[in-house]
Amino acid sequence: MIDATTQLAAVALQQGAPALEPVAAAAIAVGLGALGTGIAQRSIGAAAVGAVAEDRDMLVPALIFTALPETLIIIAFVTIFVAQG
Amino acid sequence: MSAQDYRSSNYEYVTARVRSRRSKLFDDDDYRKLVRMGTSEIARFMEESEYEAEMNRLGSRHSGVDLVEYALNENLAGHFDDLLRWADGRLYDYVARYLRKFDVWNVKTVLRGLYSGADRAAVEADLIDAGEFSEDELEALLDADSVEAVVAALDRTVFGDPLEAALADYEGSGLLVPLENALDRTFYESLIAGLPDEPGRATSLYIEFLRAEIDFRNLRNALRIARSGADMDPSEYFIEGGRLFDEQELRQLVTDESQLVEHIRESTYGDDLDDALGTLAEAESLIEFEHALDAALLEYADTLSNRYPLSVCPILSFVLAKEREVDNIRAIARGREAGLAPEEIREELVIS
Repeated sequence: MIDATTQLAAVALQQGAPALEPVAAAAIAVGLGALGTGIAQRSIGAAAVGAVAEDRDMLVPALIFTALPETLIIIAFVTIFVAQG
Repeated sequence: MSAQDYRSSNYEYVTARVRSRRSKLFDDDDYRKLVRMGTSEIARFMEESEYEAEMNRLGSRHSGVDLVEYALNENLAGHFDDLLRWADGRLYDYVARYLRKFDVWNVKTVLRGLYSGADRAAVEADLIDAGEFSEDELEALLDADSVEAVVAALDRTVFGDPLEAALADYEGSGLLVPLENALDRTFYESLIAGLPDEPGRATSLYIEFLRAEIDFRNLRNALRIARSGADMDPSEYFIEGGRLFDEQELRQLVTDESQLVEHIRESTYGDDLDDALGTLAEAESLIEFEHALDAALLEYADTLSNRYPLSVCPILSFVLAKEREVDNIRAIARGREAGLAPEEIREELVIS
């Protein structure tokens, strides 16, 4: 138990090598960003399909609004370059 | 709202479709045009609107005002069937419970048909197949040849016991009112009964909406009793579940109209009903006030649905608005047929 605690402390204090390489951390950031995008698009997509089903003219606005949460993942993508730089 | 509810109901999809349909309902301008049209023009106007499919389908069998009326009913039933088809999970349950209203409507239609001696075909044409009753059950209702037989046919449904209890009253007074009120009461009481004990947010919104409707219904009954001066026990027509009155209060208030109005003014609906109460003071008859009440309920439903966009409220608000539209067009068509002036018809319309 105590052994594990000291190990955990070593990781938290980043003694030795860091627990996560910068690139790995960036990968997690991108992944979480993608997850957020997915959650947001789920609702918007459902509503968009409903709107288009009622009125074909809604197709373009529906596509725009469905694509809006993509900005989340694009911003998350930036972290890769920040982490590498 | 728990995560479970959220996952199983598809509010986004249904509200998006409903809002789109809501925006296609006739607006003030359309009504202004409609009240000036003759019956054939109304029919043509409807053929160019979203009633096109129904008008064409029924066009070979009916004509004139009847055609308009049947097209309206069919369109209404179609819309509400769509709602049930789209909705999933808890949302389906809410919508289905509410649409049981049309079972009540159908039973009332049959009862009134029997009471007035209308023939079977006429009654059948007026039924709206949007509720819980199957076609067989509706057939059984139509086959009944007396009010007692209708009550017997409904024995196994939720309406069975209350109707039987009201039957004696009907036989005593010869009026349908006790039976109709028994139907309404059962409907509203079964709406709220059996919902989860610890309401989540979705459920509490649903309940809030229904409370408003029950309150308005109670209010209407109370005013009718107060105005007519009839010596009736108001508690017999009282529907549980509202928050505007309780049974005791109601019994006191119906004896004095001004006190009743004062009570409403101070309630949560005071602001919404301000206009309606104004017309009540001026109007000779209750009809205008009842229309104002309907308009206020519509507006309240709209407020709720704007405040809580991803909930059951927009859907129920659409159901209400659609019903009003059908009522309005029917009133216009019938009014024009009877030769009423446009101004007179306009007074009969409920436009929010």
